[in-house]
Amino acid sequence: MLNLSAYYQPDSLAEALALLTHSGGELRPLAGGTDLVPALAKGETHLDGLVDLCKIPELRGISRVDDQIRIGSLSTFRDIENSPLLQPASLLREAAAAVGSPQIRSQGTIGGNIANASPAADTVTALVALKALATLESAAGSRSVPVSELLCGVGKTKIRPGEVIKEILFQVPPQGSSSGFIKLGRRKALAIARMNLAIIITVEAGRISRARVALGAVGPNPSRRPALELVLIGQEQSLPLIDTFIIAAEKEVSQMLGTRPSVSYKREAVKGIARELLHRLFFGTGQVVG
Amino acid sequence: MDLFQLEMKVNGEAVSVPVNPGLRLLDVLRDVLHLSGTKEGCGEGECGACSVIIDGELVDSCLVLAPQAHNREIITIEGISADGELDTLQSAFLEAGAVQCGYCTPGMILAAKVLLSKNPKPGRQDIARGIAGNLCRCTGYAKIIKAVELAAAGLQQKEGEAGV
Repeated sequence: MLNLSAYYQPDSLAEALALLTHSGGELRPLAGGTDLVPALAKGETHLDGLVDLCKIPELRGISRVDDQIRIGSLSTFRDIENSPLLQPASLLREAAAAVGSPQIRSQGTIGGNIANASPAADTVTALVALKALATLESAAGSRSVPVSELLCGVGKTKIRPGEVIKEILFQVPPQGSSSGFIKLGRRKALAIARMNLAIIITVEAGRISRARVALGAVGPNPSRRPALELVLIGQEQSLPLIDTFIIAAEKEVSQMLGTRPSVSYKREAVKGIARELLHRLFFGTGQVVG
Repeated sequence: MDLFQLEMKVNGEAVSVPVNPGLRLLDVLRDVLHLSGTKEGCGEGECGACSVIIDGELVDSCLVLAPQAHNREIITIEGISADGELDTLQSAFLEAGAVQCGYCTPGMILAAKVLLSKNPKPGRQDIARGIAGNLCRCTGYAKIIKAVELAAAGLQQKEGEAGV
């Protein structure tokens, strides 16, 4: 049992925000709970009380208006994995499908994945590649922050006390884009990513006109790697380009990790996942928009 | 702290119990409702022994705070056999010898139940993915996968007969 001194289950976002504000930082929001509930049950995390967000309709749903996709923060990995609206952003669907196990995907949420700020958060790597924005609501108002700027270290975010992630917004990749996500874990199910990679490429007139590359579990938080994007831009999709890319990826990972003990493993591993993903995007079943 | 009046449907029956909101769904099922078919293994979502079905989806009941199940529909292993008859999956697990110590079995069967509800003709890979959140330390997985295949074939046959 969790040792809680207060528990609230509000029906509206306004009510949740009022509770969080009036508690003066004593209460913490609860999303799916797949990380927080066991940490509290085992006594690894202590807090005074919870504002459970699970009954708040404004935090749910996935929708598209013109080229903008909106994902309510309490959307589960299963909702994302199965959403037909997210077909043009297959990297995010693939990232959601790679999380945990069927059980975790039923319960865990994308908002929780961001707020938890794990270096290995699978959907965050995809969101960073998509340049997604998170809308943060508090009793005082609303602000919009790129997901990449919200995260500032292992388990650390710039979410202020009293704020809740309401939704995630991003633009659908342009016509001619294809995207994918790949993860390296110690085993297939339930593995915390040892490394993950999300790539979006846009092809115009036979050449890659735009590229986004994000790497996870290499630094404290998933991040875009502009040096790797530059390797792809302006080039034709070819086997030699994959070879050039993986050499650059090995160098990038070496630089990011410096003298950390994992460097010798990860600089080799990135070559394998990069080759597999690019091969899929260039020649394989990687889904093409438009 | 105030008790939470937890209302949910468990195995088809409406339940309304006052609970400490710090309890996990697993604790309520086992210790309040005495449905001890749901097991606790690791307590952190790695082993799947505590799996139950909530609104048609498989979840680890050790990761769900009891009030999160408020107004939702729960199926536990006790709820899948009707009128004293074993569910097709339960029979298939017996037939395939897919049970040894039995601790993982309720979770395995519920995982397979959700899988077959969404994909009545799963391939071996689909089955492996469907039970990927459930660990077995005795039989290994070959017989369990076989059991799910048997159940899928059995359900297809039943459906065919019903259609005639």
